Amino acid sequence: MKLLTCPLNGQRNISEFTYGGEYHQMPDHQQASSREWAEHVFFHDNNAGIVTEWWCHSASSYWFLAQRNTISDQILRTFPADEIFNQRVDFAPAAEVSSDATPATKGESR
Amino acid sequence: MNPSTLPTSALRRSQLYRRHTKLGADFVTLGDSVVVSHYNSMGDEKIQSQQLGLADLSTLPRIGFKGAGTPDWALSLGIELPAAPNRALVQADGTLVARLSQHELLLASGLDSRSQCIDHATARVTQAPLAKSVYSLPRSDSHSWLILCGSQAPATLAKVCGVDLRPHKFANGEIAQTSIAKINGVIVRHDQGERLSYSIFSDSSSVEFLWDSLLDAMAEFNGTAIGIKALGE
Amino acid sequence: MHNNKRLAPPFGSLINREQPISFRFEKQNYQGFAGDNIASALAANQQWLLSRSFKYHRPRGALTMAGQDANTMIQLPSDPNALADRVPLSEGLDVMGQNYSGSLSRDRGALLGLFSRFLPVGFYYKAFFKPAGMWEKWAVLIRKKAGLGTINQDYQPEYYDKQYQFYDVAVIGAGPAGLSAALEAAKSGGEILLVDENASLGGSLNYSRLDPEGTAARELRQRLVADVEASANITTMTSATCNGWFADNWLPIICGKRLYKVRAKQTILCVGAMEQQAVFHNNDLPGVIMSSAAQRLMHLYAVRPGKAAVVVTGNNEGYGAALDLLDAGVEVKAIIDLRQQPEYDAVAQYALSKGLKVRTGHAVYAANKNASGLHLGSVEIREIISQGICATPKSGKGEIIDCDTLCMSVGYTPTYQLVCQGGGQLSYDDDSSMFTLTNCPENCQIAGSVNSHWLLDDVIADAKRAAIIATNALELTTALAPEAIALSQQQSPNFGWPIFAHPKGKEFVDFDEDLQIADIINATKDGYEHIQLVKRYSTCGMGPSQGRHSALATARLVAAATHKTVAQTGVTTARPPFSAEHLAHSAGRSFYPAQRSNMHYRHLEAGAQMLQAGAWYRPAYYGSTAKRQECINAEVNNVRNNVGLVDVSTLGGLEVRGPDAPEFLNRFYTFGFLKQPVGKARYALLTNEAGVVIDDGVACRFSEEHYYVTATTGGVGNVYQSMLKWNAQWRLDVDIANVTSAYSAVNIAGPNARKVLAKVCSDIELDSEAFPYMGVRQGTVAGVAARVIRVGFVGELGYEVHVPQHCGEALWDALIVAGAEFSIEPFGIEAQRILRLEKGHIIIGQDTDAMSNPAEVQMGWAIAKNKPFFVGGRSIQELNKAPLKRSLVGFVINDLEAPIPLESHLVLDGDRMTGRVTSCNFSPTLNKPVGLAYVEPDKAEAGSHFSIKSSGGLMVDAMVVKLPFYDPDTLRQEY
Repeated sequence: MKLLTCPLNGQRNISEFTYGGEYHQMPDHQQASSREWAEHVFFHDNNAGIVTEWWCHSASSYWFLAQRNTISDQILRTFPADEIFNQRVDFAPAAEVSSDATPATKGESR
Repeated sequence: MNPSTLPTSALRRSQLYRRHTKLGADFVTLGDSVVVSHYNSMGDEKIQSQQLGLADLSTLPRIGFKGAGTPDWALSLGIELPAAPNRALVQADGTLVARLSQHELLLASGLDSRSQCIDHATARVTQAPLAKSVYSLPRSDSHSWLILCGSQAPATLAKVCGVDLRPHKFANGEIAQTSIAKINGVIVRHDQGERLSYSIFSDSSSVEFLWDSLLDAMAEFNGTAIGIKALGE
Repeated sequence: MHNNKRLAPPFGSLINREQPISFRFEKQNYQGFAGDNIASALAANQQWLLSRSFKYHRPRGALTMAGQDANTMIQLPSDPNALADRVPLSEGLDVMGQNYSGSLSRDRGALLGLFSRFLPVGFYYKAFFKPAGMWEKWAVLIRKKAGLGTINQDYQPEYYDKQYQFYDVAVIGAGPAGLSAALEAAKSGGEILLVDENASLGGSLNYSRLDPEGTAARELRQRLVADVEASANITTMTSATCNGWFADNWLPIICGKRLYKVRAKQTILCVGAMEQQAVFHNNDLPGVIMSSAAQRLMHLYAVRPGKAAVVVTGNNEGYGAALDLLDAGVEVKAIIDLRQQPEYDAVAQYALSKGLKVRTGHAVYAANKNASGLHLGSVEIREIISQGICATPKSGKGEIIDCDTLCMSVGYTPTYQLVCQGGGQLSYDDDSSMFTLTNCPENCQIAGSVNSHWLLDDVIADAKRAAIIATNALELTTALAPEAIALSQQQSPNFGWPIFAHPKGKEFVDFDEDLQIADIINATKDGYEHIQLVKRYSTCGMGPSQGRHSALATARLVAAATHKTVAQTGVTTARPPFSAEHLAHSAGRSFYPAQRSNMHYRHLEAGAQMLQAGAWYRPAYYGSTAKRQECINAEVNNVRNNVGLVDVSTLGGLEVRGPDAPEFLNRFYTFGFLKQPVGKARYALLTNEAGVVIDDGVACRFSEEHYYVTATTGGVGNVYQSMLKWNAQWRLDVDIANVTSAYSAVNIAGPNARKVLAKVCSDIELDSEAFPYMGVRQGTVAGVAARVIRVGFVGELGYEVHVPQHCGEALWDALIVAGAEFSIEPFGIEAQRILRLEKGHIIIGQDTDAMSNPAEVQMGWAIAKNKPFFVGGRSIQELNKAPLKRSLVGFVINDLEAPIPLESHLVLDGDRMTGRVTSCNFSPTLNKPVGLAYVEPDKAEAGSHFSIKSSGGLMVDAMVVKLPFYDPDTLRQEY
């Protein structure tokens, strides 16, 4: 079983972690074309080479990023998310959208 | 000590109390908590605690804090902070303070159920709001608290956990947030005097499963459940 | 007859002659000694026949005496396919042969051998394909003949388990290389593990002849083992098999009934080499054995391999074996040396001085049976004239030498499996005719004969070199690692082509699968030239010994047949496990986490039938299984008309706190939360980035900066992780905590709920004006600090009461006591599902699937329109541009005679599948079946009819009705 080094908890069996998908920048959700948005949601780069990925240490719920070579499956480096995300993200107000949904009952499921 | 204390005499009940009763437990009230004093079915639990014993301290007081303001706030309460994440420090009043990350603390009372730190902190929690960016966590209830102690504890843990917890590799006061018998938990090396001891904090709804798994793993080393009396100094 | 005959000491290093052991084989009584394995004990009693081959049922006996071949597979009472040369002898052990009809010595299945030309290579493939239907005819016969062993269906499970172990350096294999590597590594002070699959440390030092006198190996072994035993930081494990190499030196080591999960920082594989057979006619007869097997029999078990032996050799090791045979009183009739001009070493010179008959440049062309037909009787010798070709004497027959033992010493294959599992590469050196290994994984070294070193001094030097590299890497030492030892100066023990075709075939390349030279050649002629295809087509290497003795010969044959070099041909992929392991080892002590609420035992005491949802145990309903439906209906009616209590502790709970808490929820969930009043709950619907509905709950605002958000039982873990991941990017000033297990919770519901709650709660005003529907309060219930939420999931006046986890049972008891005068009754998940269905509330995951968007499930109302951003928002916008593909609607079945549809029954329009049922149940309140189904949007209007293909294929008419089915004006829950 592979080992993965959590920046908070150190080296652990990879079974202690949850894979969180490739890291890539979200396009501007208001400006992006439908195509661009669909590619963001559904397509992955799936590069043969070095990729950056999200990983979460399950026992401590700690998210971090890892650089991995997908050819050799070698993990080159892991680092805290704030290395990339170092400031608060805010979104511009939405353009007006017409309301066409039909109201229905409220309820929450179990 | 009142030998006739019932496990149901308090509102707070360990989810394991029926198992304790089956093993012939006598219960005792410490502060507001009802815990197992000792088991009538066992031999000398003091000796057992040196070899391999498992105790349930789930009803003893605990609390947690996190948020960016937590370290400063804890210092202002007079809590001595462990220097780094995943380190624990026993306070003068016996409270175990485990630093789970830069900004998160878990406090567990002394084995006598007393803790000035927790009392102070709890009093502040009720006078909401706390300091800026300090959030309390209900660790008394979110997590169960077991102590696995004795010289065979590392070998037992090696059967349920993939982290090297042998005493020369995992010093007193070290913390491992990891998977134990496939459930998430926090293991704190928490020796009492000469006795090698690991506190295990894990999801309270899974405590019966964890208890059974640990006792099963302990069997080959003749480990048994022990009461809090055996853990006393 | 059975007389347990042994050689005098020092032969027999493993056996304890003071401790005889009785056992049975094929219903006959035998005696062996402690330290024997089954095969050695049987050999001591001159019982050589152990098994019948897989395909032709040919008689087979021990080949390697090392547990490496399939010839020794026998049946133990609870263990088929056990290896007789691996399983230790134990008192009273009852051993049977397997894979025969009749008896082991008179197997009727052996007649199959006569028909072998009808079972050509690729038989299974050919039979499968043509002529059509042929397989069905053959299958009956093949299945019957192909079975190996029988499973004991009365087997009582035994206790197997697993344990982690951690070492600085793990040394696998404890021969001269492994012992030396461990000793060198131990000098660093690190923690060293030394593992060997055999019962005794020392590897080949236990049985091989290093010097003319035959004492050096024993002396060296004693010295090395004593040093290892004296090293406090070396842990040794014997009879322990390292069954794989996994990433980052994760080594599964099987010892007894335990699987050790060893994590080593450095691994040194000193796994040695496996001796290979010569390939000639009848090379599988019992009595034809590896030289090393003969030496193991003599040195380890004091068993004489036979009375008269011939040695066929391609190296000097065969001469050492001949000397050992002489020492054991075996008549050595001849040494047949494949080499034209051997270069003799000291041992071989000594053997020559004994005046033995030696034939160089000759081969054993064929082996012949003795009178019993079950053992070697003689060998035919011919002169080699070119690669694989022998001269045909004028008489038509070569020299015949009578013997009962033929020792083969023609070469080795490095034990490549673990290295190759780690990505190591096997190459072939045409000069030495040997496989060589390169490209070891990171933090893993190989040393000794697996690294192509054969001279003892080289082996030891190589082991020390590997150990220094390992301890240097660990920064335990800083010694300069010696350079790699050159390979060229040594003489190869491998003879390049010990393969001799015979007109009658039966020159076995793969004993497991009864594959002969022609089978391999024909596979290439059938067009399967690649080694991987040859394997799959011919089944070569697919048997229990996994090509240990066929890989080298096959590679050579395929290379020759396809005019490539052996290096180009290569071998097939090696995968774990190295050797067969019990499923129990993999299963081990299994952990199936179970979650129980604090009220769990109250449910049991009340007669609940529990079900497991994920890890949680939850009460399905209360009462006997015989009266299931009645119980559930009664629970529903009691909630509708009176008051019921349900345990909802499994419900997810998340604290979202801080100045940005409203902003965070606004971005995370679909609804708007900025203007949510304190003291109120708001429905929270979660979509993923693709706009698919993935969870829901309520967000309770207890203060400006404090929300308590519920989530579904199964979804909360993912919701929590997802929240943290988003905020790792947004960096809002908010704290998120999963407090699911911190709370026990009940929902007290029904017209009398308020009256019951009022009896145990004095600090919250409960009347509808002070505490309206969707209100949230904090107070004290039954003496316990509680969060109380007025929700309407079941469609009646109801309060969810959340208290600290450890107080759950006390809360339950207090409410049951307080409710006694109103005849409060607990209700379970089944009743709750009917109650919510009557209210038309969906359950995420049951009424939604991986494609459900909010509009399809009539949740458009829960999507805020003018938020700057929320997860899934843009995708929902995109989805809304296209027409709806399906709609989730409520339906009733008016025909009370019709079978009630079940979940996933299809909605059909003629032959066309247009949707499916997601929930359906008989509603005790409406007195007819009600349900939810996906239908085409044009069928979504109230009053539309559609057809459901129900149980037994019956078509049932369903009518769409407006949701909810019950109390459309929500008067009851808002009461």
